Amino acid sequence: MSETNYKLVRGLLLAFLGLWVLLTLAPFYWQIITAFKSAAETNLTVPTFWPREFFPENFVAIFAEPANFSALVDSFIIATGNTVLSVFLGTLAGYAFARFPAQAGGENLAFWILSNRMFPPVAILLPMFFLFDSMPWGTDSYMSLIILYLVFNMPLATWLMMVFFRDAPRELEEAAYLDGYTPFKAFFKITLPLVLPGMISVSILCWIFAWNEYLFANLFVGTAVKTFTIVIPTFTQGSQTLWNLQMAFSLIAMIPPVTLFILLRRYMVRGLSLGVVKG
Amino acid sequence: MSTLAQDPSAVIVMTVSDPSPKWFTGRKKSTLIVARWVPLALVGLPVLTLLAIVIYPTIWMFYHAFQNTNMIRLFRNDWSYVGWENFATIFQSERFTDSLQNLVLYLTFGTGVEVLLGTIIALILYEVVKSNALRTVILILVVLPMMLPPSIVGVLWKFLLTPSNGAVNHALLNLGLISTPIEWFNAGISLWSIIIADVWNWTALPLLIIYSGRVSLPPAIYEAARVDGASGWKTLTRITLPMLKEVIAIAFIVRFMDAFKFVDLVYVMTSGGPAQSSELPAYIAFQRGIREFNIGEAAAYSIVIFAFSAIIITLFLKYLKKVLKSQSIA
Amino acid sequence: MARLSIEGLCKGWDFPVLDELDLQVEEGEFFIVVGPSGAGKTTLLRLVAGLETADAGRILLNGEDVTTVPPYQRGIAMTFESYALYPNMTVFKNIASPLVARKLDRHTIEQKVTAVAKLLQIDHLLDRKPGEISGGQKQRTALGRTLVADPKAYLLDEPISHLDAKIRHELREQFQTLEALHTVGTLYVTHDYSEALALGDRIGVMGGGKLVQTGTPRELFDFPSHAFVAQQLGQPGINLLMTSLTEDGGKTYLRSRDGNLKLILDEEQRQRLNGRSNAEVLLGIRPQHIRILAPRQKAPAKHQMVDARIEQFQPLGSMGIAITRAHGIDLKALTPPEAAHIGAQEVRLAIFSPAFHLFDPISGKRI
Repeated sequence: MSETNYKLVRGLLLAFLGLWVLLTLAPFYWQIITAFKSAAETNLTVPTFWPREFFPENFVAIFAEPANFSALVDSFIIATGNTVLSVFLGTLAGYAFARFPAQAGGENLAFWILSNRMFPPVAILLPMFFLFDSMPWGTDSYMSLIILYLVFNMPLATWLMMVFFRDAPRELEEAAYLDGYTPFKAFFKITLPLVLPGMISVSILCWIFAWNEYLFANLFVGTAVKTFTIVIPTFTQGSQTLWNLQMAFSLIAMIPPVTLFILLRRYMVRGLSLGVVKG
Repeated sequence: MSTLAQDPSAVIVMTVSDPSPKWFTGRKKSTLIVARWVPLALVGLPVLTLLAIVIYPTIWMFYHAFQNTNMIRLFRNDWSYVGWENFATIFQSERFTDSLQNLVLYLTFGTGVEVLLGTIIALILYEVVKSNALRTVILILVVLPMMLPPSIVGVLWKFLLTPSNGAVNHALLNLGLISTPIEWFNAGISLWSIIIADVWNWTALPLLIIYSGRVSLPPAIYEAARVDGASGWKTLTRITLPMLKEVIAIAFIVRFMDAFKFVDLVYVMTSGGPAQSSELPAYIAFQRGIREFNIGEAAAYSIVIFAFSAIIITLFLKYLKKVLKSQSIA
Repeated sequence: MARLSIEGLCKGWDFPVLDELDLQVEEGEFFIVVGPSGAGKTTLLRLVAGLETADAGRILLNGEDVTTVPPYQRGIAMTFESYALYPNMTVFKNIASPLVARKLDRHTIEQKVTAVAKLLQIDHLLDRKPGEISGGQKQRTALGRTLVADPKAYLLDEPISHLDAKIRHELREQFQTLEALHTVGTLYVTHDYSEALALGDRIGVMGGGKLVQTGTPRELFDFPSHAFVAQQLGQPGINLLMTSLTEDGGKTYLRSRDGNLKLILDEEQRQRLNGRSNAEVLLGIRPQHIRILAPRQKAPAKHQMVDARIEQFQPLGSMGIAITRAHGIDLKALTPPEAAHIGAQEVRLAIFSPAFHLFDPISGKRI
């Protein structure tokens, strides 16, 4: 290929990449400027591509309503509670699968656990609703979502912890046994520090999935407990959608997952590809 | 020792003379390191938790799929057995066949395009952009949509695609690409709106997976190719793509399986409308049970989707097992 | 009483690996197990360490049955082939690990670790992490971790196989001088016969899930009980040829099956072969017992002369290896360092016949 051709192809490819970046960012741009517009400006017949007047009061308005703040708190409690449980259970099973595969039920059990993550949630949505309705905690509670989210987060945590434990050389643990550590102590002294980065990334992944969950939350909670995901679409005034408030609140709610991703993206690829691709 | 008589200069290999001695009873499961019950206990707690969550719903679903249960009958406790009627209703309804059609469109132009675009962009990013810092920045930017909850994605796109004063229509009008606003939420188009939002939302996943897959390919191969004088295109089709085959497949399947669970964007953006024109199978199951209170039929829907997913999941897990084995992870 | 004794040890996974293996390491003995890769050497160590469960058999440590004692209570120290250093800890902490496990006080730990590190010449590396030191230093650290543990027996798994030649020799010397290894009892596993000959008080050659032969290096080298043992020890490897016993003119010969090489047996050897129903004999001749004669040089006493042709010659500095062809048979010969040969050169070989090794071709056992 000649030099000019090469440059041309390169230029076209870069242009394509640039276009994609632009298309990806454009909705965010719209989200951000809308968050700073007044309600009236969002409903003009011809939309403005730059706010005529900055209206940071939107953010004030969101936190002026205590329900909004408590929606973030609820989401946080549910996501964190579910993550702790998922990662705890996933670590137990993942360790057993990685170190004692034969005694722990073998590969097929591990694959069965993973398969639970892949089944459509509608299959369990209805029965769980009626089941939880008859339970002491009811459907509209932290408990109900913390338990429900285990369906997709615990299999993920189990599977990934298994992959991470397999990455941690078994011989190190064995060396610790010979040093005189019991399996329990060897686990905490040697293995756990080794899988800690993996464990953190699993936690973050679970946390983001739980934080962002919408479908279960929409059906199960809504009165005593509200997650931000179900609160955002309700910002309306009569038949008018309050786009500016929806965008402002979603900007705030995006901060935690986006920050976590930026900080820990290296580890998360492994999780998103079910352990196949090393990040 | 008879091999010795054949060729005395060969290296003598001594194996255990009796291939199955008395003491040899096959694979032993015991270990001295922990007691026998420890692995079982470690696995038991998570497995029982999961079973407790999924067993009851599964039984419930299989039971009600053959009953004429609806919300009122459920509360009155007087539903009755109807055999395969719910399934017959589903397979005869246009609503179901339409949703299958929609699913095919969604899989082709949603999932398919996401993986295609993801692959292309990931490879451009890795091969053409030279600066490491710039690559990282671009990667972070393009992955941002994936970090948003579906309700925000849905609301945002509903807003962007508002026909009268939405940003997309006005941008297209200003650029002269269209002369009248597109009615994004009319029948026939609303599904495409969902697909557009979904592509924006999820192209990042295959992109990220494939990019990381490309990063971990050994550079030595590429040096060899350069020494052999292979062109960029040849390197791509002969080396990069074949070596990324499995990674791309995994990315595709992960997205493919999500298609069968896909409900939330439909729900937030169009509620399946107008006139059920943008419904997907999983959404109908959701809708039938939760909004239209026909529990028997919803259960039957779930079973249909469940059965279909089970087949795909089984195939996928087999594939995953193979891929992981080849990387000696499993 | 033996320090470590193994009785009828059996272990298998998909196929049997160890089959009724017996082994005794005496007090203060440095015992080396040598064998080809895949023979089950590492499995043996792992069983002794308690990392695997025995399918049958007993392991006794100072006369006490430890077969079912878990590894963390056995009081055995082991170095792993991969070193198995804790990557998140410094060299100091790695070495101190067994002491910390025993909850010794800080001062004692520091004292012991420093002493061991000084002994192994790694005292300047104590603050480094395993990722920041060389292979030889890693092995010294791993060794330090076992030495400091003050165990009832040492297990060393291929400790120097993966190091380059210079470090290997340094560490080999270290093993000879480390007193601890020679006061308690050490089981050392390697595939390298020269390590075994150089270091072992006694050697066991492993094959077929057992120790085929056990003895001092000299015994094993000079009187291999089995063709397998003869082949395992020595580099270049022993010449093995299939022959049959023939009588001609009152003399007893071994005539090669292929080609036409005839070698005369002496009286003692003839006696040994007496009464055998099978006339076939597997003959082993070590390359050092074959000399290449200068032209017109007379054969030394007890040597037989054979005409041959040089096929290939490898000068190795301290010696040379000549591959020769004599009457249709390939024979390797060791030459003195100053020798120089070229291919296709016609020579006469002098073979030292009293050092013939005679084996049964079916069982492989020494006759």
